[in-house]
Amino acid sequence: MPETFRVIYSAFRMAMLHWIADPQWVIPNIIAPFVFTTVALTLFRDSTGPFGLYAVLGGGMMGMWGNTVYSSGFAIEFEKWQGTLEEVIVAPSKLIHVITGRAISNALFGLTNMIAILVIAVAGFRVSLGISDPLMFAASLLLTLLSVSALGLIFASAFVLSRSAQALTNGLETPLYIVSGSMFPIALLPFWIHPAAYVLGPTWGIDAIRLATSADYVSQSFWAGLSPNIAIFLDLTIMILITLAYVLIATVLFKLVEKRARITGTMVEA
Amino acid sequence: MNSFKIFLSSAVFSFRAQFDWLNPAMWLTMKFVLSLSQMAFFVFVGIFAQADVRFIAIGNALQSVSWNTVFSVINITGHDKWDGTLTLVLATPASRLPLFIGRAMIHVFDGILSAAISFFFAAFIFGVNFARTNVAALIVAVILTAFTMAGFGLLIGGFCFFFRNPMVFANIFTFALLIFCGVNFPVQNLPTAIQPFSYIFPLTYGLTAARNAIMGQDLIQIAPTLVLQLAVGVALMLIGYLLFRSFENNARKTGKVEAV
Repeated sequence: MPETFRVIYSAFRMAMLHWIADPQWVIPNIIAPFVFTTVALTLFRDSTGPFGLYAVLGGGMMGMWGNTVYSSGFAIEFEKWQGTLEEVIVAPSKLIHVITGRAISNALFGLTNMIAILVIAVAGFRVSLGISDPLMFAASLLLTLLSVSALGLIFASAFVLSRSAQALTNGLETPLYIVSGSMFPIALLPFWIHPAAYVLGPTWGIDAIRLATSADYVSQSFWAGLSPNIAIFLDLTIMILITLAYVLIATVLFKLVEKRARITGTMVEA
Repeated sequence: MNSFKIFLSSAVFSFRAQFDWLNPAMWLTMKFVLSLSQMAFFVFVGIFAQADVRFIAIGNALQSVSWNTVFSVINITGHDKWDGTLTLVLATPASRLPLFIGRAMIHVFDGILSAAISFFFAAFIFGVNFARTNVAALIVAVILTAFTMAGFGLLIGGFCFFFRNPMVFANIFTFALLIFCGVNFPVQNLPTAIQPFSYIFPLTYGLTAARNAIMGQDLIQIAPTLVLQLAVGVALMLIGYLLFRSFENNARKTGKVEAV
């Protein structure tokens, strides 16, 4: 078990070092959430209601999404270009542990986006955003970050085999923002999309984060009528269960992907 | 004739080159998914904010040309550097102007296709009513927007020759259009100090012209806006070309091409 953590930590550290060495790569990941939030805040400017809550927290959430999808897709593509994917595969460490470290690192970087958005919201749009339960806010944010990272592992398993991982990354980003209800209530979406929203862990995570930020939000949450603390507990429980399912699915998928790649020898040219 | 051949081959190669990293099936998927998802996102935000959804759908439909004419065109520079072909391009005796502009031209057609798909989504998924539309005026507005936005793409692409990673700029400038050009809200909703910047982008004029055409105005009525748009687009393209030549001269002096 400590070996597993060592691999995850090393991959996490390497990803961090890559970011520090070439920080301009942060920009493509945060620019979309940043712009989307600015547009939303402008649209919400004349509206009354909890719009700031949706725009600012949603923007931060989108930053995590963007970074995770990106880390799953483009990082693999980057390994292919550099010719290092073969070395990563033949190393005795499991590929899933390497990707886990990277996914956590990139989701963590997504949090920087939340800070940038908060600054813009407060300074540029005069949004007042107090956090009613800082402890639950931090816990919800951390667990959501892990859930986003776990979902990134599932994407990564598919991206390893695809020649168009970068294109898939671009194509997946906005649909995920929509389906998870990052910036508007899921109730606005067509009914047939709702099941897709419910199997995304971060959908529950953002609900918990909003509840921890404003107790008044409970009437619009999935748990209208319950107390905010119980609602947060239910959100987080469901998210943890979904996250565990992601990890299980990703583990199986990575085994299949590695096996297939070793048999067909098509990993890099896929 | 020679210039036309250079223009044509440059256009075809720059388009084909993108299939080095993108397969045709994925290209089609991206074309449909990107347009639809971006429009859907802002339409739902608009519904939540009780904004004019029609305005948002039309804005995003026309903005979709930018993914080809700005994002892809800027990235030509990046791919040239990444694939090591920039040195070969600079070593050819080919006339630079058709070579430079030709690289963007197929993306103009691709952008028009993106806009057509997006207007289809606006009408049939988001219920925008095109009953009063002056179709000829709208078509001209879309074509001119694609062409002039390619000028903007070439400008930023020319600027990006001096940087290691043009993709960063491709992202910034493609997304910035969503804020500055009146895609999701009128330019007048921006802070007064920022509004003049909106008119640097040909898309701002294109959106005004397209919206007026959808309201029923004919080609003559939207002509003043289109003339302004064309002037801005050509000016941007020429500045981009000057940047390209400046980079080329600098590269010849310093011996630095990909390593800037």
